[in-house]
Amino acid sequence: MHCPFYFIISMTMNHPYDDFPNLLFSNNTATATSTSSCVEQHDGIISLDMDWDCDFHDLIESMMSDKGATTESSPVLPCYHGQEGISNSSSTGLSMADELDHDVEADESKGLRLVHLLVAAADASIGADKTRELTRVLLAKLKDMTSTNDRTNMERLAAHFTNGLSKLHKEANVQRQYGPHQHPDVHDRVDVMLAFQMLQNMSPYINFGYLTATQAILEAVQYERRIHIVDYDITDGVQWPSLMQALVSRNTGPSAQHLRITALSRATNGKKSVAAVQEAGRRLTAFAESIGQPFSYHHCRMESDTFNPSSLKLVRGEAVVINCVLHLPRFSHQPPNSIISFLSEAKTLNPKLVTLVHEEVGLVGNQGFLYRFMDLLHQFSAIFDSLEAGPARGFVERVIFGPWVSGWLTRIAITAEVESFASWPLWLATNGFKPVEVSFANRCQAKLLLSLFNDGYGVEELGQNGLVLGWKSRRLVSASFWASCESSE
Amino acid sequence: MFHAKKPSSMNGSYENRAMCVQGDSGLVLTTDPKPRLRWTVELHERFVDAVAQLGGPDKATPKTIMRVMGVKGLTLYHLKSHLQKFRLGKQPHKEYGDHSTKESSRASAMDIQRNVASSSGMMSRNMNEMQMEVQRRLHEQLEVQRHLQLRIEAQGKYMQSILERACQTLAGENMAAASGGGFKGNLGSSSLSAAMGPHPLSFPPFQDLNIYGNTTDQVLDHHNFHNQNIENHYTANNAADTNIYLGKKRPNPSFGNDIRKELLMWSNQDHEPIDDEHRIQIQMATHVSTDLDSLSEIYDRKPGLSGDEGNDCGKLLERSSPRRSPLSPMMNPNAGLVQGRNSPFE
Repeated sequence: MHCPFYFIISMTMNHPYDDFPNLLFSNNTATATSTSSCVEQHDGIISLDMDWDCDFHDLIESMMSDKGATTESSPVLPCYHGQEGISNSSSTGLSMADELDHDVEADESKGLRLVHLLVAAADASIGADKTRELTRVLLAKLKDMTSTNDRTNMERLAAHFTNGLSKLHKEANVQRQYGPHQHPDVHDRVDVMLAFQMLQNMSPYINFGYLTATQAILEAVQYERRIHIVDYDITDGVQWPSLMQALVSRNTGPSAQHLRITALSRATNGKKSVAAVQEAGRRLTAFAESIGQPFSYHHCRMESDTFNPSSLKLVRGEAVVINCVLHLPRFSHQPPNSIISFLSEAKTLNPKLVTLVHEEVGLVGNQGFLYRFMDLLHQFSAIFDSLEAGPARGFVERVIFGPWVSGWLTRIAITAEVESFASWPLWLATNGFKPVEVSFANRCQAKLLLSLFNDGYGVEELGQNGLVLGWKSRRLVSASFWASCESSE
Repeated sequence: MFHAKKPSSMNGSYENRAMCVQGDSGLVLTTDPKPRLRWTVELHERFVDAVAQLGGPDKATPKTIMRVMGVKGLTLYHLKSHLQKFRLGKQPHKEYGDHSTKESSRASAMDIQRNVASSSGMMSRNMNEMQMEVQRRLHEQLEVQRHLQLRIEAQGKYMQSILERACQTLAGENMAAASGGGFKGNLGSSSLSAAMGPHPLSFPPFQDLNIYGNTTDQVLDHHNFHNQNIENHYTANNAADTNIYLGKKRPNPSFGNDIRKELLMWSNQDHEPIDDEHRIQIQMATHVSTDLDSLSEIYDRKPGLSGDEGNDCGKLLERSSPRRSPLSPMMNPNAGLVQGRNSPFE
């Protein structure tokens, strides 16, 4: 089931960026018959006559007629199931039957309107002062039209974006700066953990990154006695049990490979992150013990944004692996400087392998906020569409997607001027790293993983040394592999 | 003049030109004592073009190819064997055992021409080598499948452990808040099991379960109860559900977290933030999940409870044991890569 919203976005993306303001704010409606302006007239405020019969409409009409996916639970429930809460949720409105076509059109046109409003709001939000009022109006309208409990994907996603933009708008007066930017509805740690695990069952997004990186590591260190992984962001350590299991299953006894993991924590993320890193260590140690894998764990604090390799404990004869997994939903803005510093300094360790996993959201420099906003909208609409429907979906959307979208919006708003390099792989390629080929086994594993989920996912090769997970035509996550130019094969 | 069974004689007519590397017709012959036609890059390309013109290797015949190519000195025999090689090269899975005697002799003729150079990488390889390569790849794919299964299992176990730990920490903080019997008993996990679709393994209702040490009797009672529910569920949904295992739509792979079943309850409620009550329920669920292994053992030992063995229900019960890899219903080691296969069992 495809949500037309995704296609709306992708069609929108294909139009030249410059045309947008004209498209949205033009008053020359040739066929001003259908939906008229949707911006109410406020005192003394510009009233916009949005032309919804723009080029997109025809495109949309010729596309899929499916309505958006919904989050209802299984439609047929046995009758003993009279428990409250199961069948009366607002998301169980399966209007699959009846006025399907009419609904589809209504959905599509609403989706179109929402996109336009969002883009307009985004544009206005970074404008000069006189558009602040316009922003407020647009956001109010959006809030009115959407809710995170809505029936269709597009409405719910638009709601999350609206919330994110609202936050940005509120803070417009405040000097935007780097630093930990916490989403106001910070959820409980258990909630977040639960939601993460549920997300892993709904999409290969997270595990594509983990498993692909892990497979490359296993291949690179196959004949090493000692392995030392320096993990930039260990989160809960979820990446490593599968590695440990693989190590144990291929070596036992005297040929066992010894694994060391050093996890970084960054001062900018505060005390919580230190505690989380230490807890991850405890859990991993316990797990390793339970399967008999020789293991030791270290915690390295990055005091500032600079990484100092001498603060690592190194053992002679060990193979160093740098693991940089950046694609997980992040709720706070992470300045790129610390990653840059980490990668540059880590090169001095002569790593056998550097794994880099990141989202495919273009932070291409000099493109401006609006372009990045559209790209972000595109990315999230694809992710939204790709998630398996299910009863847990609403929870995951609220706990993860809300803050995730907000975090990203802050990031692209702040870094509009700052981030000038196109992408991590390019940076690595031009800073003393050489590509490491992706193996047949790794490609196989990725395809196998995807086969467990919705149709629509695909794996592409990224040059010689990477794989990209995509949904339909949108690239979502890429994993690439490198070694320092001086390291021996 | 040419005998199919005597490959060495096929080049008989070329013996006069045995010493020449390149004949008048432009054909390149080896300087071996037994001259053979050398399929050079250009010649092979002409061959491929001709075959393409004629509609592909299956439609083209040596006679027509010879006519189209118009190369002097090229015989039907050359073309027959080259065409066969070409055809086989396009289908590496083709079995060789079925060949008739006639073809097998042709095959041995091909063996002799094993060193023939050509532009196509496949053509220049021995058929056996190609077969081996393909088999190697298939084997590797199976290995990947097996490994992935184990890795996902390991990851699932780990995630369960960190979740439990986090809940325990939370429980420690919240225990004071929850007075005795403070959690609602309405969670009716029977409803959960059904609502979760093809996950017949379910938790007994919380109020009946001794969280910190369940007894077999209790579990068995619930097992029977749930079996019935499961049957109802599957009767109602049989079409959809069989499709889940046999068709395109697959049940969500479980990365070790059966906790989500519990979440169904409150996540379908009015989207309030989780309050303490709910949280405790989840913690209880977490504890239950650690006992799941013992539950599943019991389930496993009685596969026929829901009907005869051939019944989908019973099999699904067996299949969905969390002790097994979550992928086991979907992975058939004999079927290569998982693609919604027909036989979900190992």
